[in-house]
Amino acid sequence: MKPAWSWQFEAGRLAPATPLPLPSPITAEWAWGGSRGAGVRVAVVDSGIDAAHPAVGEVAGGVALHYDPEAPGQVRAVEGPHEDLFGHGTACAGIIRSLAPEAELYSVRVLGARLTGKGMVFAAGLRWAIDHGMQVVNLSLSTGKRDYFAVFHELVDEAYFANVMLVCAVNNVSGPTYPSQYASVFSVAANEATDPERFDYNPAPPVEFGAPGIDVEVPWLGGATIRATGNSFAAPHIAGLVARIVAKHPGLTPFQVKTILLSLASNAAAPGGPDGDRHLLLR
Amino acid sequence: MPDRPERLLEQVAALAADLGPALAPVGQLDLLRSITAAARELFDAAACSLALLDEAQETLTFHVASGAGAEEVVGQRVPVDRGIAGWVVSSGQPVAVADVAADPRFAAEVAEATGYMPRSVLAMPLQTEREVLGVIELLDQRADSLVGRRDMELLGLFANQAALAIEASRVFSSLGQALFQALGMAAAGDRDLAASLDELARRSPGPAADLAELAGAFARLGQVGPAERAAATRLVRDFLAYAGGDGRPS
Repeated sequence: MKPAWSWQFEAGRLAPATPLPLPSPITAEWAWGGSRGAGVRVAVVDSGIDAAHPAVGEVAGGVALHYDPEAPGQVRAVEGPHEDLFGHGTACAGIIRSLAPEAELYSVRVLGARLTGKGMVFAAGLRWAIDHGMQVVNLSLSTGKRDYFAVFHELVDEAYFANVMLVCAVNNVSGPTYPSQYASVFSVAANEATDPERFDYNPAPPVEFGAPGIDVEVPWLGGATIRATGNSFAAPHIAGLVARIVAKHPGLTPFQVKTILLSLASNAAAPGGPDGDRHLLLR
Repeated sequence: MPDRPERLLEQVAALAADLGPALAPVGQLDLLRSITAAARELFDAAACSLALLDEAQETLTFHVASGAGAEEVVGQRVPVDRGIAGWVVSSGQPVAVADVAADPRFAAEVAEATGYMPRSVLAMPLQTEREVLGVIELLDQRADSLVGRRDMELLGLFANQAALAIEASRVFSSLGQALFQALGMAAAGDRDLAASLDELARRSPGPAADLAELAGAFARLGQVGPAERAAATRLVRDFLAYAGGDGRPS
């Protein structure tokens, strides 16, 4: 079972990525070694987070957003604790927690009872994350509606200039989806890796990163753990690593973080050399 | 047949409402049945079911199913705010779960919605660029199925085709509705019928816009002159005779 876009990360298909020929190479130890993501604010824009799940731990805060034609902007926001309606937000939070145990998790619940107005609710969730100082935002959802192209483009640009790292799962549809399509986000599809810290850089985007998302063990509702597949489970792996990098190197910009990730991708070739598995040499 | 254009148009709208579903190349239910049967076969699954969103977008109703538990699942309704199908239609992202039984609550939901207890579920949204229509679920796919490891991607392409077919089929059932809406708008205000139809055409998203445009053409045809109107009337009569089962137009 492989989600859409995963084929790009299959062994033999993935071209080598060429890191910057720096005088001293970027290593995993330098990038995130010893970092547990302490103090980094990470938002999960999804179905809520079950804070009672042992794999999730404390949820620092959050907001539940829903469509309300009477509310300003047609979206009503209820700050504070809320449950996970489906289990998916908990799964993403658990993956991030496993990689960055000391990150501050925030739940931005945008998936709820009704589908009416969900694009507006989704955009409002992203707006909330930017306005509330989130440093990493995990978005395991996207919209293919062209109407939202400009809305999300504006939000994504704003996030970029505020050094907010937007990590987006790519959708299964053949056409573009927003915001995963934009160049400044970290777009992620599932690869076949089982090591949670092993990821790929795709030199032929739009999908830039491959991370584990096939048959991964994830927390779910009611304290359970399930084995699930989807690009939506790949994104939080990158979000977790980004949180660790940002915790260790405050003030990095999204393009700097992408440069670091490219250097540490499993398919990063030694600069000027043949396609060596640099990733393994540096660990 | 009255010669006032409004009366004629009313009849055209009524005719369109009746003709729409009749003209559809295949009935909606037959279409859905064929989609699930084909998906189950292609992806080598024990069962395949298909649920569509209701108009209020609050509930998913399983309309058809093929394979194990098929009889139990048809007619099942699940709210969109829970379960894997709910998340899939809400997020627009597919999800596969390999060990459904690991989460007892989740397993109970799946069993309720699928009629039997599968080991694995793959849920894929049915969506077009315009809207999410529902979800298609494959239960217990064989690991060595023909399509192999790219099945999630291929099911996505299949689901896109299915969604377009469902959307196209709905166009026929809303043919009359589009005309009636326009007529209603014209009757409520003091505006020229053709203008209001054109306005509807501009405002309606997706395929309904084409229908309203077609209706607008009807309206203008009704206004061009007595000879043209008589020709249009004859055409409608012939259609009525044909639609009424009187055989070929005279």
